[in-house]
Amino acid sequence: MSVTEDVRVTTGMTRKPVRRRRAPRVTDENGRRIRVWELVLRYALLLAVLAITVGPFLWQLSTSLKGTHEDIFSSPPTFLPADPTLHNYERVADTIPVWDYAFNSLKVATANVVTNCVGSALAGYALARLRYRGRKIATLVFILAMLVPVESIVIAQFTTMRELGLNNTLVGVVLPGCIAAMNVLLMRNAFLNLPYEIEEAAYVDGANAWQRFLRIALPSVKGTLAVVAIFAFMGAWDDFLWPLIVLSDPAKFTLTIGLNYLHGTFANDERIVAAGTIIAVAPLIILFACLQRYFFRGVGEGAVKG
Amino acid sequence: MTSPLPTVKSAAETSANTEVTRPAKTSGERPASRVRRHLPTSPWLFAAPGLLVVAVFILYPFVSTVVNSFTDRRTLIPGEFVGLANFRELLHDDMFWTGLRNSVLYMVGVVPALVLLPLLLALLVQKNIPGITFFRSAFYTPVVASIVVVGLIWVWMLDERGLVNSLLEAVGIGRVGFLSDQWLLLLSAMAVTVWKGLGYYMIIYLAALANVPRELHEAASVDGAGAVRRFFTVTVPAVRSTMVLVAALSSVAAFKVFSEVYLMAGPNGGPAGEDTTLVMLVQRTGTGLTGRVGYASAISVVVFVVTVALMLLVLRADRKEDA
Amino acid sequence: MPISRRALAAAAAIAVVLPLSACGSGGDDSGSTDASGKIQGSITFQTWNLRANFKPYFDGLVKDFEKKYPGTHVKWIDQPGEGYADKISADAAGGTLPDVVNVSPDLVAPLAKAGLALDLDKAAPKYKKEYLPGAWASHQIPGMDGTYAFPWYLNTGPLFYNKGLFRKAGLDASKPPKTYDALFDDALQLAKKSKGKVATLANVPTIEDFGRYGAPLMNKEGTGFAFNDAKGVELLTKYKELYEAKALDPQALTATPESTGKKFLTGAVAMNPGSALDLSKFKKEAPSLYKNIGITDQITSTGKVNMYVMGVMVNSRSKQKPAAVAFAHYVTDAQHQMEFAKKVAIFPSTAGSLDDPYFTKQDGSDETRVRIAAADSLKSAVNYTPVLFSEQMKTELRNSVAKALQGKESPKTALDNAVKACDRLLQQQG
Repeated sequence: MSVTEDVRVTTGMTRKPVRRRRAPRVTDENGRRIRVWELVLRYALLLAVLAITVGPFLWQLSTSLKGTHEDIFSSPPTFLPADPTLHNYERVADTIPVWDYAFNSLKVATANVVTNCVGSALAGYALARLRYRGRKIATLVFILAMLVPVESIVIAQFTTMRELGLNNTLVGVVLPGCIAAMNVLLMRNAFLNLPYEIEEAAYVDGANAWQRFLRIALPSVKGTLAVVAIFAFMGAWDDFLWPLIVLSDPAKFTLTIGLNYLHGTFANDERIVAAGTIIAVAPLIILFACLQRYFFRGVGEGAVKG
Repeated sequence: MTSPLPTVKSAAETSANTEVTRPAKTSGERPASRVRRHLPTSPWLFAAPGLLVVAVFILYPFVSTVVNSFTDRRTLIPGEFVGLANFRELLHDDMFWTGLRNSVLYMVGVVPALVLLPLLLALLVQKNIPGITFFRSAFYTPVVASIVVVGLIWVWMLDERGLVNSLLEAVGIGRVGFLSDQWLLLLSAMAVTVWKGLGYYMIIYLAALANVPRELHEAASVDGAGAVRRFFTVTVPAVRSTMVLVAALSSVAAFKVFSEVYLMAGPNGGPAGEDTTLVMLVQRTGTGLTGRVGYASAISVVVFVVTVALMLLVLRADRKEDA
Repeated sequence: MPISRRALAAAAAIAVVLPLSACGSGGDDSGSTDASGKIQGSITFQTWNLRANFKPYFDGLVKDFEKKYPGTHVKWIDQPGEGYADKISADAAGGTLPDVVNVSPDLVAPLAKAGLALDLDKAAPKYKKEYLPGAWASHQIPGMDGTYAFPWYLNTGPLFYNKGLFRKAGLDASKPPKTYDALFDDALQLAKKSKGKVATLANVPTIEDFGRYGAPLMNKEGTGFAFNDAKGVELLTKYKELYEAKALDPQALTATPESTGKKFLTGAVAMNPGSALDLSKFKKEAPSLYKNIGITDQITSTGKVNMYVMGVMVNSRSKQKPAAVAFAHYVTDAQHQMEFAKKVAIFPSTAGSLDDPYFTKQDGSDETRVRIAAADSLKSAVNYTPVLFSEQMKTELRNSVAKALQGKESPKTALDNAVKACDRLLQQQG
């Protein structure tokens, strides 16, 4: 079972549409024409799955756009807001400094992307390419770290952070996940799949490990790097538990904790909450939409081989 | 399964590791040994940041958990060493067995669906018909969204007066108490897990499918094999190792399930706590000002041991298949 | 409730691991209770989910205090509603508990036992007379001497009911139930007439319900629980009957306060406890319900309604104890409680404040009517929830109640088991 091989082919696949898009007839991957009834059936199924996967998000969006006077509990439900309004989004901003919180989240997520990309690329390269004593143990350390259920070690992480004097700082939010074990292993795999010959040539030319890493190996695993970046961004943006524990100053809150204020002790409105969740989710969906090409390629890293 | 995606991905890597190492090693051996002679320190420099972070923020706290599992520590009161008392208490704790049952049931329910449905979905989006890139990306959306948002949306949908029940009533089935019955709750949570995992495993299968030699399919068609037969005689054998991988990933994630059940069934774990999973039990016993940290740590240790055992089991099964 | 649930979901296993070096030092000395000295220095004040709605009030409060005591500096921080106990336990365990902390009685108990809460009977006895005696006593812990927090605001509220649903069931909408028997009869009728579609109650009985029904919650010494007596069993048996008739919402076993509120709004449930503040919410979110809203008193067998108490605790390890005590008192004194009460539908715990015209004089609006009735009932109200009743105990009771309602155990067995489990947890708390 090799992810490597599997994935390599995806790359080939995702490229194909570009080539074939302008083909006058609809054909399958073998260039054979697809029968009309089959095509209809396929689209029907695709649309059905689309409704199941994306529909619930649209429902949430619709709730967030419904005005105060529209009964959101009505049954049967109305799918489209009778009088769409952005008022609920304004109310989110009135209740909490949502843009400040979003900015904090952005800082944390960006830092997390940078540290994860750099740190795991370096470590991954060491594990995959450089031969040294203790390499197996180092690999094992990362594998073990990955199996630890994070939920059970948060307080210990907090006290460690306090001893370092970094509690209640955004740096403290970033640190524990800044080089995730799974990203290291992800990068290790990507490097392992590179044909060794390329680097060997550079080695013969007198390039040292650092030069080979930077000039040859790294550019070849851009796809995996994109996957790491997306995971790192998503992870940091969605995280709740850790920032909640480590931050106490509301001015430093990230979006996920900040949005929690929408549920006040004394007041609570379903529409504002829907608006809040959309604010939390939308950036991720947009980010993914922009990067999906690299993402799908990254999942299929190893294409260099073929 | 607070963040199923990373977990899943990471697990994928572990199990994939062993395989991938093999081919790479042969070509890598020779030049690598030369590197060692020339650059004795740099490998450690490369790996140092990662090792440091992982050791300080993951492994050290984990070791404290293990240590705590042998104490009667509580949140604000440092405990004393109690030997195996916590583990002995587990044996007589009904709630622990309920948790274990549910975690195992979850695995049994979710894994077959996550092995099969994404494969069918991958077959559906495999052909490059117009707009298919859009569909592929759209099917991945649930993976991108945070599990909390996902849970909330589904609680709202499955509510007694929610969208799903309105539709069921319109079709004449009548309203169903998805969120009040012990078993329906567990099933609903499983459905959400499957819903959120579809896109992720679909991608893995897509990669594997593209690897199936076309000739096989063509030969089968020429032989007059129908779609269903081709699925079983060509597709399934070709992606079998991927199916094992998916089974491994999804079973580890399912055993550690927390968020879905917590969000659907509530912090209490459904009626009479009957839907509590092991990780939920860790959270409930160990948190708050009166939390029993020692006892909760003991449950964590059990979860950890079972997870590692699952991984080893699957890796072994896979190795056998390879041979 | 969307994001707040995220809080809980994420608060997974927060306190599972505490490195041995960093925990509160249980019983040993935890700083003196001496709070005399000059009021100066920087202190931190933490509230519980009040920032969103009351930021200007607290900013003003802090500024006034700093003006009154030159040389002091107060840093106000506010924590989100969900996960508050987890946040406090993380801070308490990590030694970063703020100087002045907004707490509730059940939060104070473990903190006091860990020696982290300042005993005000020793440190600030002179303020005791400024508060309602019952409120002052609410932060005393059975088995310990002393009072561990200033009482802050109180809350209680009426029972709302949906007149439309009452009429549809053939009941007199102007005569809501006043006793438990009447409540149970009406509930059964509502369920019968609506063919099980309309429930009257949406929550399973909690510890406070047992208290209000007249069951003794703890033994006299405070060393064990006692809600499994005849009264307790009677209440649970009644609830079982309601559950079977669908007069208790079928989803009650998994309900949360948010979900039951929602059910009342959608007309799936006919009655719901609430506070004066809920009225404006009804007006906004369910205008059609608002037209039909009925308001009645909490039902009790004891004649004493239930109230919630908030307190302000001083960290016994604060480096600026005089300033911390002074500020905690400043926040909770009569003048500031009154100001705060006028901003939101809560009630002051200071002696005499409830006699203010604001709490006694009708002006014809529903809000005022609810407020006055509540203020009046507060004079005899009780915080039924025992201070020592921890989260884990609530879970035990909830699970046992659920088993009884489902018919898996008899009400008597279920309550016996719950008492046994809670007693065990109580002993472990030490």
